[in-house]
Amino acid sequence: MSLYQLSNIVQTYGGRPVLTIDSLELTAGSITGIFGPNGSGKSTLMRMLAFLEAPQQGTIHFNGNATSITETSLRREVTLLTQQPYLLKRSVKENIEYGLHVRGLKSTSGIAADALEEVGLSAEKFLSRQWFELSGGEAQRVALAARLAVNPSVLLMDEPTSSLDEESTERIRNAALRAKNERRTSLIIVSHDREWLTSVSDSTVLIRNGKIESTQCG
Amino acid sequence: MGFIYEGLLKAFELLFNGNPETWSAVYITLCVSSLSIFFTILLGAPLGFVLGYCRFKGRETLRMITDTLLSFPTVVIGLLVYSLVSRQGPLGDYGLLFTLPGIAIGQVMLGMPIVVAMVANAVENSDSGMKDTLLTLGADNIQVLKATLWETRYHLMLAGVAAYGRIVSEIGISMMVGGNIKWHTRTITTAIALETGKGEFAMGIALGVVLLIIAFGVNFSVAKLKRRAGQ
Repeated sequence: MSLYQLSNIVQTYGGRPVLTIDSLELTAGSITGIFGPNGSGKSTLMRMLAFLEAPQQGTIHFNGNATSITETSLRREVTLLTQQPYLLKRSVKENIEYGLHVRGLKSTSGIAADALEEVGLSAEKFLSRQWFELSGGEAQRVALAARLAVNPSVLLMDEPTSSLDEESTERIRNAALRAKNERRTSLIIVSHDREWLTSVSDSTVLIRNGKIESTQCG
Repeated sequence: MGFIYEGLLKAFELLFNGNPETWSAVYITLCVSSLSIFFTILLGAPLGFVLGYCRFKGRETLRMITDTLLSFPTVVIGLLVYSLVSRQGPLGDYGLLFTLPGIAIGQVMLGMPIVVAMVANAVENSDSGMKDTLLTLGADNIQVLKATLWETRYHLMLAGVAAYGRIVSEIGISMMVGGNIKWHTRTITTAIALETGKGEFAMGIALGVVLLIIAFGVNFSVAKLKRRAGQ
């Protein structure tokens, strides 16, 4: 089933085209890996898929419907984990529960704890910590836990392992696979690490110079 | 030098023996400055937020005007407010001249540019990832605004404390609009000016000590908040 359908997309920054996609279809319930050199337009594509910016030309269909970035409901189905995630100036528990809070959902302490355990952090040790008491890798994993807690239909991850050690990278991989298999979350992951990306993805997309160069399944 | 030493000793005597005239000036200063800072933050913080967050035509000009107003001399504000609240002025019917609310109007005008400029800077320079994070976690526009204010809370407090420091130590507005009326509108700064003019150094020094303690409290808070804001 088609999750995203992008047609005739053109995005320019300051008059300079950064992304041109004639057609791209991403399927639901799978992990799609996106790779390509620096400045090839990967992050721009992720921002468009997260409905944070609209293309200057072209259309994006999500679950078969045309989209607009002004729709909060879309952003409540799709969530993005950026390369250097921002943590709110609050405790880890409050960071994880923020997404639930804005959706008007009552958070139980179990949700935050489960999300933390899912990314390999001890709930007992980390839930009450403040944002400034975390290392870079811990902050990255807390940010991922905050995204998992809202149980999104689509989880977008932009270079989720770029600043992590081997063990943390493996934990992110396991969390991604669990989200797909147990929660039926569709994942789209951008990474420089082609080997890691291939190991976790069902299909891959290569972007170069703002254009889709190839797509590969399996 | 002897008279300074004597003045200092007498100052502590006045303070610790609860001299009513000294403490009246302290009380009035705290009352009027509290009123002023309340309205300064109430009006200034939303304006600063809009100036720092929204992109609109004329924004840069507004920022420049705000920055210029940071160095507005207190006597000029005093003159302006005096002309507004005096009998012939547009607010003359409200009887605000030589009253604490009259002084507060001037002090709000003094503190507002500080709060507006500092809040606008804080919001403008807040992490660019913050808005994306809030949006991608599902926040709508109102929730983004609320969370941004909360995220910049230490900067907001810092702006309030900085404005309070300027308000509590001004003299031009209190003197011109308040009229330095004993028991009614005499603040610490106007009392110091008057007592020193009369050669009553002791009371001047006593009030100066109180002002210094307030200034120390303000600066201590600023240092603490700066550390928190930087984390």
